Amino acid sequence: MKNQLKVLRAMRNWSQADLGDHLDVSRQAVNAIETGKYDPSLPLAFRISRLFDMPIEEIFDDEFNGERDV
Amino acid sequence: MTNLTESAMFDVDEKAGNNAQRIMWMILCGVGIIMILGAIAGFLSAHSAEGGGPLNLAGYAVLGVFISVTLILAFTIWKLFQLVKQSGERVPRREKLNRNIIVACGGLGGIMGLAIAASGISNISEQGADPFVALLAGPLPLIIVVPLIFVWGVIMPVVAWFWHTRVIDEQEANAYRDGGYYAGYAFLMLTPLWWLLWRGGLLPEPDGVAIYLSFSLVWTAVWFWKKYR
Repeated sequence: MKNQLKVLRAMRNWSQADLGDHLDVSRQAVNAIETGKYDPSLPLAFRISRLFDMPIEEIFDDEFNGERDV
Repeated sequence: MTNLTESAMFDVDEKAGNNAQRIMWMILCGVGIIMILGAIAGFLSAHSAEGGGPLNLAGYAVLGVFISVTLILAFTIWKLFQLVKQSGERVPRREKLNRNIIVACGGLGGIMGLAIAASGISNISEQGADPFVALLAGPLPLIIVVPLIFVWGVIMPVVAWFWHTRVIDEQEANAYRDGGYYAGYAFLMLTPLWWLLWRGGLLPEPDGVAIYLSFSLVWTAVWFWKKYR
């Protein structure tokens, strides 16, 4: 899933290890989320949202285009 | 100034990213050393089973190659370790604990392997047993078996429980779970296949140790790949 994590991290001059410490996850987890190789769980997404003080949908983009499956 | 700081920050991440590959190569070199040491032990045991005495020139040459490769691999591990140290990667607390536990378990496994190998080698020299059978299936004295059972049956489950519930994060748990799926499917598909090939006379009888090692290898490889890719 595309996300703004790398940009938000850069705005605070944090390395991946710094962000890992803030979220209590490994640097590899931060890297995997940033590169879209791993989608965080809902609890971790909420932690990220609270850390950057932004709604989840502004950080993560599920590329939903408005069309609903019926 | 901001760009400079940001580029330095991403440089730190890039160097830290390379550490995953370095650690992977260190582990592979370590496995290589263990296998070569096993080959040296087997070679010397076979020589001793054939009557012993001083080695001939070809024997020294084989031993020389084994020892040279071991030294090259050990030097590579040391060099890679220096590079990891120099990269300046700041390891988060949780990851540091994780790495310490994995290294400690690896060390414990190495000691257990050496104890089993030493006992197997003494069987070969005392009873002239087949080196392969003696190392993998020969009798072990209780003084070695009891501590090994305690470590594997009591300590390791506690360490595994602690590792899963208190140390690894959700991304690693996910990688580990995927490794379990791949290993499980490999086991479910390949074991009956081997059994059928054996029944058809195309392969030797299915071997429990080989199946166990393959299962562990697939699980570990997928876990490592999913965590560090």
